[in-house]
Amino acid sequence: MTPTPSSAKLSEIRAGVLRRPGLVGSQLRQELSVAYDAWLQALLTARDGVALVAVGGLGRREPAPYSDLDLVLLHEGKVNGLASIADAIWYPIWDSGMSLDHSVRTPDQAVAVAKEDLKALFGLLDIRHVAGDAGLTGRVRGSVLDVWRATATKRLDEMKSISRERWSIAGDAAFLLEPNLKESRGGLRDAQALHALAAAQLVDYPVWVREAYPVLLDVRGELHRITGRADDVLRQQEHDSVAAALDLADSDHDGEQARDTLLRRVNEAARSVAHALDLAWRRVETLGSTRSPRRWRFGSSRPGPERVGLAKDVVSQDGEVMLARDADPWSDPGLVLRVARAAAEHDLPIAPFALERLAAESAPLPTPWPRAALDDLLAALGAGQPAIAVLESLDQAGLLAALMPEWDAVRCRAQHNPVHRFTVDRHLLETAAAAAEHDGDVARRDLLIMGALLHDIGKGFPSPDHSVAGAEQAEVIARRMGYAGDDLAMIVGLVRHHLLLPNTATRRDLDDPMTIRIVRDSVGDSAELLDLLHVLAIADASATGPAAWSDWKAGLIADLVGRARAAVGGSRPPTIPPLDDERRQLAERGELAVIVGADEVVVAAPDDTGTLYRTTGVLALHALDIRAASIRTHAGMAVNRFVVEPRFGTMPDPALIRSDLARALKGELGLADKLAEKERTYSRRPAGAAHRRPSVHWFDDATDATVVEFRGEDEIGLLSRITAALERAGLDVSSARVSSLAGVVVDAFYVTDGQGKPIPPEARPALEAELRSAWPH
Amino acid sequence: MKQITAIVKPFKLDDVKAALEVLGIQGLTVTEVQGFGRQRGHTEVYRGAEYTVDFVPKVRIDVVVADGDVEKLVAAIVEAARTGKIGDGKVWVTPIESLVRVRTGERDADAI
Repeated sequence: MTPTPSSAKLSEIRAGVLRRPGLVGSQLRQELSVAYDAWLQALLTARDGVALVAVGGLGRREPAPYSDLDLVLLHEGKVNGLASIADAIWYPIWDSGMSLDHSVRTPDQAVAVAKEDLKALFGLLDIRHVAGDAGLTGRVRGSVLDVWRATATKRLDEMKSISRERWSIAGDAAFLLEPNLKESRGGLRDAQALHALAAAQLVDYPVWVREAYPVLLDVRGELHRITGRADDVLRQQEHDSVAAALDLADSDHDGEQARDTLLRRVNEAARSVAHALDLAWRRVETLGSTRSPRRWRFGSSRPGPERVGLAKDVVSQDGEVMLARDADPWSDPGLVLRVARAAAEHDLPIAPFALERLAAESAPLPTPWPRAALDDLLAALGAGQPAIAVLESLDQAGLLAALMPEWDAVRCRAQHNPVHRFTVDRHLLETAAAAAEHDGDVARRDLLIMGALLHDIGKGFPSPDHSVAGAEQAEVIARRMGYAGDDLAMIVGLVRHHLLLPNTATRRDLDDPMTIRIVRDSVGDSAELLDLLHVLAIADASATGPAAWSDWKAGLIADLVGRARAAVGGSRPPTIPPLDDERRQLAERGELAVIVGADEVVVAAPDDTGTLYRTTGVLALHALDIRAASIRTHAGMAVNRFVVEPRFGTMPDPALIRSDLARALKGELGLADKLAEKERTYSRRPAGAAHRRPSVHWFDDATDATVVEFRGEDEIGLLSRITAALERAGLDVSSARVSSLAGVVVDAFYVTDGQGKPIPPEARPALEAELRSAWPH
Repeated sequence: MKQITAIVKPFKLDDVKAALEVLGIQGLTVTEVQGFGRQRGHTEVYRGAEYTVDFVPKVRIDVVVADGDVEKLVAAIVEAARTGKIGDGKVWVTPIESLVRVRTGERDADAI
C-alpha cells in the first residue's frame, strides 16, 4: 500500500519538495511552507479552544530546508486532554527526525513572554495560523503587536545589546569570506529586526532591504540543501556548489567567477541591511529623545543641544560628528577628511545627514592633495580601530571611491584563500588599523599606515602578481595624495615587497648568504624600509586571520630581519635642513621677529634657555598645531620655522603672536597655567582613553652632538612640554626636526650637554626619565 | 601500513613535497613545530635587545603509506631535506593499525 501524504514522515515530504527540479529561491520556500502546513493541519483534530501556530521562519512562510520548526500550541486554558493533543502533534514531528522548537501557551502567557523576552517577542510578531481556532491566533497577534508598539522605543537599548552580542560572535557579513547568513551583522536576523521596527511604525522598511533580504534567503536555502544541515555559515568549500545551484555563471566580461559573484551579492546585501539598521536605530533614538516629556519640563529657557567644535566647520552633537552650520563642502574639498579625522579620533559616528551632504556637495580635492588633507587622512587612519567604521561609512556614501577611485576595484572583493577572513577592502582597513598600533617601533608610522592601506590594492587589478600590480597602483594613488621623492619610493617599496619577509623567512635557508642578499637588494639597503616591512608583515598577518600568524612564523621573520639588518647597517640619524638665507639674515639682525605666512610661522629670538619652550607654548596658545618645525641657532639667535595648521580656521594676527611672545620671553605671560588650561579644554582624545607609552631613541652618528628622538602620540602643547623637559634636563638644543604625522609625533633634537659635549650613554637613562615626563600619564 | 614522520627545515618543505609527489604520494599533513636537537637554541640580538631562541622552528611532515613504499619514500625525504648542516632534522617510521577515509568510509589500503 502506498502511504498517503498524511501518513508519510514530514522529513520524507521535505525530501520530496527538495528533489523537485527547478525549485529554488522564493518558490522553494513557498512550496516547503505549503507542504509543512498541510502535514501539520492533519495533526490537530481538536478545533475548539486550541490553535497550532507557526512562528519564526515558517511563520513568515520562508522556512530554510533544515532549520527548526518553530511551533506554538495556543489554548484557552482548562482544555480537556491538552497533553494528548500536544503529544499527537509533537511526537510525529520528532519521529520524522525533524528538529522542533515548541511551546504550549495560553494567549496571556504568550503575551507575558513577549513582554519579558525580546527574542520571543520578535518570533511572535511573525505568528501565523496553521490549524484550530483562528480567533485565538488573531488575539495573540493583536496583543503582541500592541505590546511592541507601546514599548519599542524603550526597548531599543535591549535590542542593540542583543544584536551587538550576536555580531561579536558571528562577525560582519559584509566583509567576511565565510559569513553567517543568519547571525552575522547584516544577516537575516538584522533584516528581521528592521521588520520589527517597521511593524512598530517607527521606521519604514527600506526598499533596498526588500531587495537584499531575499538574496540572503536564497543563498541560505541552497546552502542548507547542499550541506543537508541547518548550517548558516557560507563556507568557502560550498561557494562553488551554491553558486551553481543559484545558476550564477562565470563572467567573461570582467573575469569574475561565479563564486565571487555569489559572495559579492551576499556581502552587498549584508552591507545594505546593516546600513539600514544603523539608520533605523538612530531614527528611533531621535524619536525617543524628542518624544520624551522631560525635555520640555523645564520650560523654554533650555538651551539648544550642545555642539562642540572638533575642527574647522566640524562639530559633535548628540554623539555624532556633524557639519557646522556655515560649512560649505563645495568650496572646502578638505572637509570630508577633516570630518573623518574628527570622527575617528573621537570614536564617534558621522551623522547620516552630514554624509549625505558631503556626498552630494563635495568638490573633488585638487591633485596633488593639499598637505592638510593628507595629514587628516593619516590622522584618521592613525586612530586605529575606530577608523574602520568611519572609513566604512565614507565608503557607503561613495566618498572613499571619490577620494581614491582605485578602491572600487577591491570593494567587496573575495579572496580564495582559507587563511583570509575578510574581503580585500576590509582587510586593507584592518591592516591599516593594526599598523596604527605600532607607534614606538618605527620611525615613519605615517608611511607604514599608508603602505598598510594600499598593500593589497593590486588584488583588484588583473596581474599574476598582486604585489607588482599593487606597486603600480600605489604609485599613482600616493602621487595624487601629494607624496613625492623618498616617501613615495618608500610607499611603493612597501606595497611591492610586502610579502618579501614572510615568504623568504619560511621558504629560504636563512643561513645562506644569498638569502640575506636577496632581502638587502629588494629593500635597496634601507634599514627603514626593512623595519617598516617587518611591522607591515605583522600587521598584515594579524588582519588576515588567526591562522596567518604564529610564534613559529614570528620567530622566523624576526631571525631574517635581524640578519638582514646587520647586513644593511644601522638606521641613519634624521637629517636637518640647512639654514636658508632668509633665516640667516633674520638672525643677523639680532632682534625679535615674527613672520606669519599662509601655513608657517618663522620666529627669530635671542637663544636663551627657555626660548624654544616659550615660542612653542605661545603657538599652542593661539590654537596652532605644529605639523613640522626646523630649529636652528645662528649668531646667538634662535631662528625657528614652524609649519602650522590653525585648529579653527584662520591664522591669528601676527601682531598678537609677537606681543604675546615678547611677554612670554620676559616671563610675564603666565604661560604654564594658560597652557594647562588649554590642554584641559582641547584634548583630542576622548576622556578616559589610555595613553600609549612614548619611546625615546638615541643616535650617536652625528658629529659634536647626540641626536635624541621622541616618538609618541600627539597632544596639544606637547612640543612645548618636550622642549621644557629638554631644558630642565640641562640639554642645549642646537637644531631639531619636528614632525607630526598620523597623530604621532617624531621629534628629533640635536643636543649637547651644558659644556657643548655629546651625551655619554651612562647619562641617558636619567635624562630619558625626565624627558618622558613631558607626556601626560 | 606505516606512518612516516619527518622533521625538516622550513625552507625544505617545498623540496620534500615535490620529491614525494614524484613518487605518487597524494596527500600529506604539515605542521609548524618548534624544538631542538643537537642544534640547540641560540642567542640573537634583535633591535638592541638580546633574546634567547630556545626552540628552532621546523616543519613536521606526516604521511601514511603502504609497507612496501616505506624505504624509497624515506630515502627520497632524506635526499630532499639534506643541506649537510646541523639542524637538518630527522625522519622516523611508525606502524599504523588501521585507517579510515572520513568522506567515504573506505578502510586501510583503500584509504591511503
